[in-house]
Amino acid sequence: MSSRLDFLSPFTLETQVVKPGRKVYVVKPEDLRNVFSKMIEVLGDSSFYVSTIIGTDLKDEGRIRLDYYVVVLPEEETVVFRTFIPRDNPTVDSLIDLIPGVLPGECETHDLLGVVFKGNPFLKRGFFVPSDVVEQGKYPLRKDSGV
Amino acid sequence: MSVSKIIEVPLALELPVGPQHPALHEPVLLKAYADGEEIVKVEINTGYNHRGIEKLCEKNSFYRDIFIVARVCGICNLVHADCYVRAVEQILGMEISNRAKYLRVLAMELERLHSHMLINAVMAENIGFENLFMNIMLDREKIMKAKEILTGNRVLSDYVMVGGVRRDIDDVKKEKIRDILLKTEERIKYYKKVFEEDPTILKRLVDVGKVSTRDAVIHSLVGPVARASGVKIDSRASDKYDAYSEIPFNVITRTEGDSWARMMVRWDEALESVKIALHVLDHLPSDANPVPDEKKLPRKIPAGEAYTRVEAQRGELTYYVMSDGKSPNPYRVKIRTPSFNNIISTGFMYVGYTIADLPVILTSLDPCISCMERVTVVDVIKNVSYKLPFKELGKGV
Repeated sequence: MSSRLDFLSPFTLETQVVKPGRKVYVVKPEDLRNVFSKMIEVLGDSSFYVSTIIGTDLKDEGRIRLDYYVVVLPEEETVVFRTFIPRDNPTVDSLIDLIPGVLPGECETHDLLGVVFKGNPFLKRGFFVPSDVVEQGKYPLRKDSGV
Repeated sequence: MSVSKIIEVPLALELPVGPQHPALHEPVLLKAYADGEEIVKVEINTGYNHRGIEKLCEKNSFYRDIFIVARVCGICNLVHADCYVRAVEQILGMEISNRAKYLRVLAMELERLHSHMLINAVMAENIGFENLFMNIMLDREKIMKAKEILTGNRVLSDYVMVGGVRRDIDDVKKEKIRDILLKTEERIKYYKKVFEEDPTILKRLVDVGKVSTRDAVIHSLVGPVARASGVKIDSRASDKYDAYSEIPFNVITRTEGDSWARMMVRWDEALESVKIALHVLDHLPSDANPVPDEKKLPRKIPAGEAYTRVEAQRGELTYYVMSDGKSPNPYRVKIRTPSFNNIISTGFMYVGYTIADLPVILTSLDPCISCMERVTVVDVIKNVSYKLPFKELGKGV
């Protein structure tokens, strides 16, 4: 099925696999919007949904990894778009105007990990994190947050 | 007579729904704005009960986490444990016995059964059918008993373990569970008929909270909510985890996309669950002991990452587990529950419906309501304004 996504090869830096057999396309953060725009253009906007956004703090590498888990319909194959952003300036373009379903994922990743999704007007602290942790300016899922 | 007071009734009334209403299953606040009776906007506020489970998982070992993730939710504790455990098994490259796979399926289907019966009972209660609520709950109780016979516990079962399950089943227990399933199947058929034919239920649910197929997909809605809008998604059918590759079942979809369709999808799925459970009892393999020797499980988890999906009662539930190979704890655990998408992304569903429809729509996704209306009184003589509930206004200002 992944051959249906061959049109994404110009954006793909490398491919990896997350067990069990989920194909990962590593892309540049600045290409992320283009990747999803192309997906909508070629496949149509109701032929896939963003299941979840997973942010991981790779402290030793000085980077934050963002994984967009996308379920392609009708086969329901899960593919992953992976990108890396600097830990000291974790900013990436929001997809909310293209895909409304990224709302919970972007808001959560912002609140727990401090990633700024440029263009998302709904980002706020305290979306999940308790107010006392917010007041301390901590992002709990950062490895050095001390939470 | 000169005018001394002007009463400004705001165009949009603010109605806080939740977060601590006793019938609300999810601790969220839905701040609804209504123009007269019509809802014009809904804001969804979360964070009242965030327990930091993902962080907790990073601070505990892979094996302790099995019991932590099972406590994410009481209703669907088994599916959480199953999804997490399968991710760990993927990282370990471990294959489990067929008997254990079948038993996991049996346990998860019993859980789906009681969960679907519970939410349909809550819907009956919320639209005023308390007797129906109690009857459904009485029959749900039998399924809880079946779950207890299988796993040893009614609610938090802690049944799934890396390498298999924690209890085997004998012929006596099999017969008891079969008996309960057959009796409950008849009751479910009856309740389904009530939901299909009762004019009051139809009037309250049909055409309320309609979601198109496109809206369901682009807003990442999952589970019965998406299937009731014609989106044929089901992790059991697509990922074929555990023993689902060997068990025949139908993915239930409907095209109406309204609150009634969501409840009917649940009744039909409950009947499918009975069939699956009976199939498991009839075809339970005896290839190996399904209960692993926990002392012999690997202590060191190699580096790796796995992303597993399970079709929980409310929809696709996903787990991402990452091991760095150095620490006894996972480096990252990410849980995405179905309610996360189905509650937070569904503010658009309420717009255009009336205040009375709000609890129906909310319950068709899972939760409940409390509300309060206010007006602003402007005292032009004293030059002050203040807010007043309608109840006080009714007494005369």
